[in-house]
Amino acid sequence: MNGSGSIRYTDQEIIEHLRQSGIDKRRSEEELFNRFSYFIREGMTKHTLSEDEAFNAYSDTVLAALENIRNTHFESRASLKTYLYQIFHNKCVDLIRKKTTNKNSVHRSEIISDRLMQLSDSARSAVQKLIDQADWSRLREKLNELEEKCRQLLMFWGENYSDKEIASFLQYKTADVVKTSRLRCLDRLRKIYKAE
Amino acid sequence: MDNLDYIENYFTGEPEASLKKEFEERIISDPEFADEVAFYLSAKQVSGEVSRLEKKGQFKEIYQSKKKTASTPVRKLVYYFAAAAVAAGIIFGTYTITNTASPKEMANQYIQSNLQNLGVKMGGGADSIQDGLRLYNDGNMTEALATFEKIARADTSSFNAKKYAGIAALRLKEFQKALSYFEQLEIYSGYYSNPALLLQAVTLMERDQPGDLAKAKLLLQKVVDNDLEGKEMAVEWLKKM
Repeated sequence: MNGSGSIRYTDQEIIEHLRQSGIDKRRSEEELFNRFSYFIREGMTKHTLSEDEAFNAYSDTVLAALENIRNTHFESRASLKTYLYQIFHNKCVDLIRKKTTNKNSVHRSEIISDRLMQLSDSARSAVQKLIDQADWSRLREKLNELEEKCRQLLMFWGENYSDKEIASFLQYKTADVVKTSRLRCLDRLRKIYKAE
Repeated sequence: MDNLDYIENYFTGEPEASLKKEFEERIISDPEFADEVAFYLSAKQVSGEVSRLEKKGQFKEIYQSKKKTASTPVRKLVYYFAAAAVAAGIIFGTYTITNTASPKEMANQYIQSNLQNLGVKMGGGADSIQDGLRLYNDGNMTEALATFEKIARADTSSFNAKKYAGIAALRLKEFQKALSYFEQLEIYSGYYSNPALLLQAVTLMERDQPGDLAKAKLLLQKVVDNDLEGKEMAVEWLKKM
């Protein structure tokens, strides 16, 4: 156990737990966040960020690392510390660049460019226009109005979890059941989002 | 919904050239379909963002809690003693009645002894939490659950809103929802009184479906192994399971 009363996992144990589901995964997420949270102080001293900015950079770092570990993009060539520090350093530099160039907002179509790039130019341009016109804060609000199970299904989907993984997290029998339920929830969200 | 399925298949699969062309032509010729494609992509992005924001909220709670701990060691001791006293009370109060009961009965007795009424704490958070607790203590479980869920959504870092929402769901026998809230509590390591695993075990014991008892045992064993809240209770229960 470490000083805070939780178990001290090795890098490999954390990675293995993060690639599974259940309690160990959650605990490992927490462990990963806690283990390098002193980076926040470094962001404040080395990069002269405010505490909130450094916290945001560090949280985004952990979230990015969690996704990369889950997707096996992280190949364990470096230690978790080195890996996270690289991401954190880049996030801090990005933040400073955004502050100095006043480029605080990113165009929506840039965020979802991967999927948009699958479309031909003319189709992409039509969809891009509609995405830019969409009211995302209303969409967020309506998502939060859905029943909890629906909300969870859509949030896992939004984080690129597969239907098989979601089935394991939310105790559905099969990935097919997840897909049907998820699309039903998405349809419900669309209806309440479109309703006046 | 058919269109959503069709849209999803396009973005998640590798459509043949003819299907790809048909899909893209439909976007250009059918504004409603184009709108559905834009909605699908926006909803995926927004859902992911909401999820990440919730996680960041939990990280913030942990971070602030750690900072508080570092600056107030005396308070830490007080919490430890308070938690120990509560745990001792719970054990003393339930030891005799759980001596011969089945897991479901033990869970039931735990709920009757410990979750029948929830203490309204002085200065224990936003007023609406207190409103929820009042509804809960008056037996208006559905309204109490709705109140706690609303707070949990508005303030995704609220440990108490999630804990009480889970407890209210448990009382309403909405077991899956209760488990979901209790699982979310696990990330709050900074809380000295965090019954996340114990409450999950109680929920599983109370639900008593195939496989639940085995999972409950594993959770209780983790409570014991990691010296978490409810350890003494978990030891007693494990002896009887």
